[in-house]
Amino acid sequence: MKILKESGERKTLNQSDQNEFINSIQSSFKNTSYNFDTLKINVDLSSWIDTHKILKKDFNLSFFNWLSAVDWDNEVKTGDAPKEPVTPSFEILSCLSQTNSNNLVISSTVISKENAEIESLVDVFAGANWHEREAYEMFGINFLNHPNLTKLYLPDDYEGNPLLKSFELISREVKPWPGDVDVEGMPEDSIVVEEKGS
Amino acid sequence: MSQTMDPNNMPILSEASVSVEIETEDMTLNIGPQHPSTHGVLRLVAKVNGEKISSVEPVLGYMHRGYEKLAEVRTYPQVTTLVNRIDWVSGFANEIPFIAGAEKLMEIEVPERAQYIRLILTEMARISSHFVFNGAFPLEIGALTPIFLAMEDRERVLDLLESVTGGRFHPNFNRIGGVKPVAGAGPTTKKDIQDLPAGFYHDTKVAMEKVLKAVDTFEDLIGGNEVFQARTKKVGVLTKEVAEEYGVSGPILRASGVEFDLRKQSDYLPYDKFDFEIPIGENGDCFDRWSVRTSEMRESAKIILQAIEDMPSGPIQAKVPKVIKVPKGQTYVRAENPKGEMGYYIISEGGLGPYRLKIRTASFSNISILPIMLEGALLPDLIAIMGSLDFVLGDVDR
Amino acid sequence: MSFSSELLIKVLVVLATAPVMALGLTLLEVKGSAWMQRRPGPLHVGLRGFIFPLATAAKYFQKETIIPKDVDEPVFKWAPAWVIAAVVGLFTIIPLSPTLVVRDLELGVFFLLAISSISTIGVLTAGWSSANKFSLMGGLRAAGQLIAYELPLILSVVGVVIQAETMSTVGIVEKQIEFGFPFVIAGQGIAFIIFMIAATAEMMRTPFDMPIGESELTMGFMTEYSGIRFLIFYISEYINLFVMCAIASTLFLGGYHIPLLPTEWVNFYGPLVLIGKTFILAFLLIAVRWSFPRFREDQLQTLAWKVLIPVSLLNIMVTAIMKVVF
Repeated sequence: MKILKESGERKTLNQSDQNEFINSIQSSFKNTSYNFDTLKINVDLSSWIDTHKILKKDFNLSFFNWLSAVDWDNEVKTGDAPKEPVTPSFEILSCLSQTNSNNLVISSTVISKENAEIESLVDVFAGANWHEREAYEMFGINFLNHPNLTKLYLPDDYEGNPLLKSFELISREVKPWPGDVDVEGMPEDSIVVEEKGS
Repeated sequence: MSQTMDPNNMPILSEASVSVEIETEDMTLNIGPQHPSTHGVLRLVAKVNGEKISSVEPVLGYMHRGYEKLAEVRTYPQVTTLVNRIDWVSGFANEIPFIAGAEKLMEIEVPERAQYIRLILTEMARISSHFVFNGAFPLEIGALTPIFLAMEDRERVLDLLESVTGGRFHPNFNRIGGVKPVAGAGPTTKKDIQDLPAGFYHDTKVAMEKVLKAVDTFEDLIGGNEVFQARTKKVGVLTKEVAEEYGVSGPILRASGVEFDLRKQSDYLPYDKFDFEIPIGENGDCFDRWSVRTSEMRESAKIILQAIEDMPSGPIQAKVPKVIKVPKGQTYVRAENPKGEMGYYIISEGGLGPYRLKIRTASFSNISILPIMLEGALLPDLIAIMGSLDFVLGDVDR
Repeated sequence: MSFSSELLIKVLVVLATAPVMALGLTLLEVKGSAWMQRRPGPLHVGLRGFIFPLATAAKYFQKETIIPKDVDEPVFKWAPAWVIAAVVGLFTIIPLSPTLVVRDLELGVFFLLAISSISTIGVLTAGWSSANKFSLMGGLRAAGQLIAYELPLILSVVGVVIQAETMSTVGIVEKQIEFGFPFVIAGQGIAFIIFMIAATAEMMRTPFDMPIGESELTMGFMTEYSGIRFLIFYISEYINLFVMCAIASTLFLGGYHIPLLPTEWVNFYGPLVLIGKTFILAFLLIAVRWSFPRFREDQLQTLAWKVLIPVSLLNIMVTAIMKVVF
């Protein structure tokens, strides 16, 4: 076993390198955004697979991080609803990254709730298998051409898709959560810290 | 019958004449959910031919607690309590990326001292997690002594964690904007708040010296053992390409020769101030995975010793509003946890709690390679490979 | 004294000695492991840990004997008996002194090897009748292992037999006294090492405990056993440890004899000397058990067939040549 000698200075997180990467992504894809250090590409449903192929091949994003979905809806049974009106839809998110830098891309596409199906990514990234199975059972999204689209966590006879916003958290209905207020309370003003160590 | 032989029949004839072996049906062996080596409640449905495994299908969900759903009905400070319990062996480290994500969305600058405290405790969590691995992995391949030594040494680190946070496994110590301003010792009035207990630096120094000594012992007792080497070297080889495609991260990825550690690449905690090395494996086998983790303990101890040397003074909590509301936005923040990359994709709609929280856990991706790695392996290798992946079921099922 | 009354007394003495020795070795194992692993419990609990083996035995007596529904009941019930019968039977040929021996058989060594392989039947039937896949695999592993290690065990003893020119255990010890050195120094050192390795495998102790392999096969062929039947397996493991170490000290370490002690008093110090030697050897095996992981099944077979058997054959050859030359 060898040990990577690297004293003190960080290898990457070179701001110019990262900017270069973001610029190259933004020039290759039309609909991108960069907020809160997170680079996001909005992809058409039809080019979902191709985009991932391009990202893997041309941008060296070979590390498959995760895939998941979001249920966008104003009528929610759990949690808070979005403040602005949104079109009811599923947003599919996938995250790819590089293994020699901190570069990371979130790809996103929107599918309708009535026709909730999308091509499976398993042929591009084999690691998408379990992530897609999870999205399938949690949201009811159908991944086409998936080799083994069965439930991952839930029992086979489980009904419903728990992560849908329309899925009630029954325990909450039976016994409301008492902790709407933060019990502890934040300390007032600034905190004076005294050096007490040895 | 015609004179010429039907060519379609020929392969059948030749096959029949060749296969003189008795064909036996594969036996289905159900390993788990209650089995000593599945780290809790993982179930493997293995098809075995004698000792040889022909296929494995992991069955998950025996510990699925639905944290992603539960997070939707909780406020941001409450979510910290949940995420503690994802990977309970290193509970503290789970809080960091979530809190960092919320801070990023709220655009809060965290005081340096709080960052240092977080860093020290994260590294302690890493050491304690790797101690568990150093005990459990040899236990699984039949050596019973290391776990007793590892647990005894881990206790020192947990005592330190407890003295600061009050919790050994689930500290729930991070607050948005800093760390929990409660004394571990001494007066708890608001005028005189102590963030680290008295004597913490000294105790840490002593404990870290002991950790360094323990690592030497393990490298001698475990790594130097011929039977251990025979059981782990060239067993369960994982190539770089497969690891990347499946999102395998952390020490497993580094054992396969990928120089990727978010502590060096990312800036979620001030790791750039310290001098430490990233151990890299060459062969990607079980021995390298053990070796990388064990060397990592030494590096973590080094980081802690440096951090307590130049610990800055100052506040431990940034100014935050009384009721924490995170503005609308989406961000993905990830951190190098003991088990690998852990990240939270937070979608905030400006409410008290996240609209959607995607939790990316290391063990989930790490064990998704089990079916590939175990194909054609021997049954005892299954145990060795599973042990070397060092997963926690809470981290798999969430 | 008539033959039958003498036999009765001898059988009773053996039946009393065997469990006591097993308890002693359990204590040694618990204390040794606690010492090696810095475990406080067995060193302090209950009269400094000394009543621990008794407490363990009492615990198993209290437990309900569970017989699963699908097991082959008579076979399942009798399997522990095969194992314990085989190991207790070996007491016959262990000489505590030239006269203190149940029976000094002409073919003592042959008897040892024949009887010790009976336990294979017990282990195999236990695994087979349990109606449990883990038990079955454990039983098959045990059978493969016991057969593979029977050979080096026999072959390593052949060297001793050639050198001693007798198969009687008393005869072998007398030969060593006559020779002035125990056989482990006088020519059979390699055979001793092979014997100890093969004996460890026969006893299914770490690093050769794959038939039990609690992290792989839960408890191997013993998985479905509980209560007193499990206790019988447990005790027979320690009786076996005692017997194997006693035989090793008889064949290689001069048995009941210790130099410079008057041979007229051998009936008094003989038993103590043999038990002392046995416990030293047993402690060696205990130390090995707590420091090593277990081998893999194929590595175990490789070790037996490719290393131990050729080396012991070579040992026989060299011994025979030396015998002819000198």
